[in-house]
Amino acid sequence: MIVGKIISIYDVSIKVILSSPDLLVGDILSTEDGKFEFEVVSIDSIEATCITLNTNHGLKKGAKLIKKASSIEMEYSDQVIGRVFDSYGRVIDGKPFTSIKKVPNKNRTISLDRLNIDTEPLWTGIKIIDFFAPIQKGFKIGLIGGAGVGKTVLIRELIHNIYTDTSANAIFIGVGERSREGQELIEEMKKTNLLDKISLVFGQMGANPVSRSKAVDTGLTVAEYLRDEKKNDSLIFIDNIYRYVQAQSEISMELKEILVENGYMANMAELISKVEERANSTKDGAITSVQTIYVPADDLNDDAVQNISAYMDGQITLDRKMSEKGLHPAINVFKSTSKLVDVDKIGQRHYDLLKKVLAYYTRYEELEEVIAILGVDEISDEDKNIFYRSRKLRNYFSQPLYAAESFTNMPGVKVAIEDILNDVENILNGTYDYIDELSFLYIGKYNGK
Amino acid sequence: MKGMCSVSVMWDEIATDVMKNINEEDNVFSVGRVINISNNVVEVAGLKDVAFFEAVSVVNKARGYVSAIFDNTVNISLVEQNEKITVGDKVYTLNKNFKVSFSMDSLGKVVDVFGNDLITGKRFENLLEFDVETEPIEIIERSEVKREFLTGITGIDLFYPIGKGQRQLVIGDKKTGKTQVCLDMINNQKDKKVLCLYVAIGKTKKEVKEIYYDLIKQGASSYTMIIASFPDDLPAKSYVTPYAATSLAKFFMKQGLDVLVIFDDLKRHADVYRQMSLSAKKIPGRDAYPSDIFYTHARLLENGCQHKDGGSITMIPVVETKSGDITDYISTNIISICDGQLVLSLKKFNKGERPAIDYGLSVSRLGGAVQSRDMKKVGIKIRQDLLSYLEIRDIYELVNLDDLGENMKNRMIEGQKILTKLNQYKYSPLTKEQMVNLFDDIKEVK
Repeated sequence: MIVGKIISIYDVSIKVILSSPDLLVGDILSTEDGKFEFEVVSIDSIEATCITLNTNHGLKKGAKLIKKASSIEMEYSDQVIGRVFDSYGRVIDGKPFTSIKKVPNKNRTISLDRLNIDTEPLWTGIKIIDFFAPIQKGFKIGLIGGAGVGKTVLIRELIHNIYTDTSANAIFIGVGERSREGQELIEEMKKTNLLDKISLVFGQMGANPVSRSKAVDTGLTVAEYLRDEKKNDSLIFIDNIYRYVQAQSEISMELKEILVENGYMANMAELISKVEERANSTKDGAITSVQTIYVPADDLNDDAVQNISAYMDGQITLDRKMSEKGLHPAINVFKSTSKLVDVDKIGQRHYDLLKKVLAYYTRYEELEEVIAILGVDEISDEDKNIFYRSRKLRNYFSQPLYAAESFTNMPGVKVAIEDILNDVENILNGTYDYIDELSFLYIGKYNGK
Repeated sequence: MKGMCSVSVMWDEIATDVMKNINEEDNVFSVGRVINISNNVVEVAGLKDVAFFEAVSVVNKARGYVSAIFDNTVNISLVEQNEKITVGDKVYTLNKNFKVSFSMDSLGKVVDVFGNDLITGKRFENLLEFDVETEPIEIIERSEVKREFLTGITGIDLFYPIGKGQRQLVIGDKKTGKTQVCLDMINNQKDKKVLCLYVAIGKTKKEVKEIYYDLIKQGASSYTMIIASFPDDLPAKSYVTPYAATSLAKFFMKQGLDVLVIFDDLKRHADVYRQMSLSAKKIPGRDAYPSDIFYTHARLLENGCQHKDGGSITMIPVVETKSGDITDYISTNIISICDGQLVLSLKKFNKGERPAIDYGLSVSRLGGAVQSRDMKKVGIKIRQDLLSYLEIRDIYELVNLDDLGENMKNRMIEGQKILTKLNQYKYSPLTKEQMVNLFDDIKEVK
């Protein structure tokens, strides 16, 4: 049935004059030949504004539109596991697919009553994370960092370490990131025979803003299926949630909405909340999510970054200065925190060591400035100890990663938390004072040699 | 009221014109009249049956494409203009998408996106038309980036290697040798069956001519095409130039060829796009760039890939920075799109290091995955030695070498040696064997 006619066309939106009164916001329209598709975003008496799902190139004014569906829909069955989808829920891995049951990928909220927050720790085997910002099942972990400091390597490492070690199902949602990496991830999953438990959804950076923003909803629908229907625990990896906000702000600009500082949409907090509150654990199943958060222009005060990180239970901040020094993972320990850092949760020993290391690091930063002018010889013996031991600790927290083998030529290693605590204790109390700092660079646990 | 009157008269004229033109000229499908001209955008009344991004001509005066369709009028972005446009000028649509043209005889020439030979000023005769933008390359059409793309520069090929299909950004201040690094890359593709497209955006005419002569002198022009848009071209022409060049590159890639595309530079491209957006009254975001500036570059650079059928497009975008700040908005955007960045430093340039690569800030996200075994082994080892040296050098600069202990002392000495060996002047490429052997005498330091 024809519902309207196009009266104006912009980059990624159109205006439609309606001939049918029963159109709703969220409906999917298409041209009669099916070549162009749109989603209704607002209706003003007899005019509707729609956003373009693919492209407007070649679209003509006056083209008639038909209603195709009442929402973008996503498969809601076991069929989703082990498959690759685009952001509109279409299978793109080229293998045959028959749908069993589809549901709208729209937002569904969780009541406070269903929300579950009691869980157990989850060790990643990455020294710097387990020591400074340990995580827990059901956590939301944000990997925050500017361009090119190692977010993607770290999320790949976490996929490797957490997903391969658990029996949980996983969902990878690629939002506004590189298609090359998407291709590599699929290949890697195939090679390691892990594709049977993971579902992948991609709305990559070459796709239009509508497509990029829908990938998140589509991916979360899969997570809800696993949690609510299968009652399973699941892992969600989102790379990169900032790109979701970015895509939304592009759409807002296109719709001529009034934007706030730095070109973001005014309802940013609401949109982020809708995504983050959806991906929570309930009594039916825990959803542990790892989300990368891109920092535009290295500006940690950016509104979108601040808004998203408020939902994170743990945040790991990557730092360009560390990366410049060749210390990977390039984590800034002062800006990496976790709700798990509490005497009752990680124990007295871990807590005390952590406090001491941070105190050493703080003093080290001060000393670095003094030494740049006066040289090491001029500082007191106590400060010398802090200085040299801190440098050893800094080197110790670098680590060969599986995801970085092509950069380090070293096989990745995982380190148990007990070993980390022992090594840190030994460095701090001077047991290793006679060993030079280079020996701690890119090792797993220190083997005493 | 007078204005209203003249508009309605014009509408009548348009109606008769349309009838007349349809009867007389068989390639003209729709006619309108200019009602408003500002900032290279023309508002047209009457083009009833026009499609978004359709090609449009303003009677012998200008050409452009449909950039927005309103209830009663249409906006045309001009890409080429010979004469001044006045209100009331006739506008024809050509019933096809706006396209660009290239000739297959463009190798060794400087051309624009309309098939003009800019050196002779003549238009090529055997032109092929290309869509400005084509469908994105799907994930399943792609294959792993793993074949090496050699630049002949030790600091790149060993430490921050490039693979065929990779997007590697070259970033740095003015006068740090960015363009030279790109020309070295082109020069090293001799006899390697790589087609090179050097895309100049916002470069001065003088600079482009120098590059043209340089490539001839190096014997690199037989496999290189220079596609240029100049600062005095209309903004929309500069804006479409990199997309058009990419369209051409995709055409070659689909025939199984390896293509190198250099965009020099994308900061200028971003500025041109900002100008266009602001004149189209789009609401500005960070640094007054429109919110879709990331998408503008992302969808361009996402075309760089290794195609599953064998061909590839390697992309080298260039970005100019101020005071060595690679963390500004446009730079970080493009860094986050690319598969790595080669940072050039003014300080190192002035110290005499060539190429002036900042080894700490440069990154290759593919690393050893695109290197041969020898190169990978030596590259990773020497780069780690060098980075470790650069880091301890800053701290222990004031300390007497003999107080440092054997290991640290050797690291300082060997580090300095590595840095010296990396110096390499323009157009003096090394082979892989030469690069590997270069570091034979570097001692093992634990």
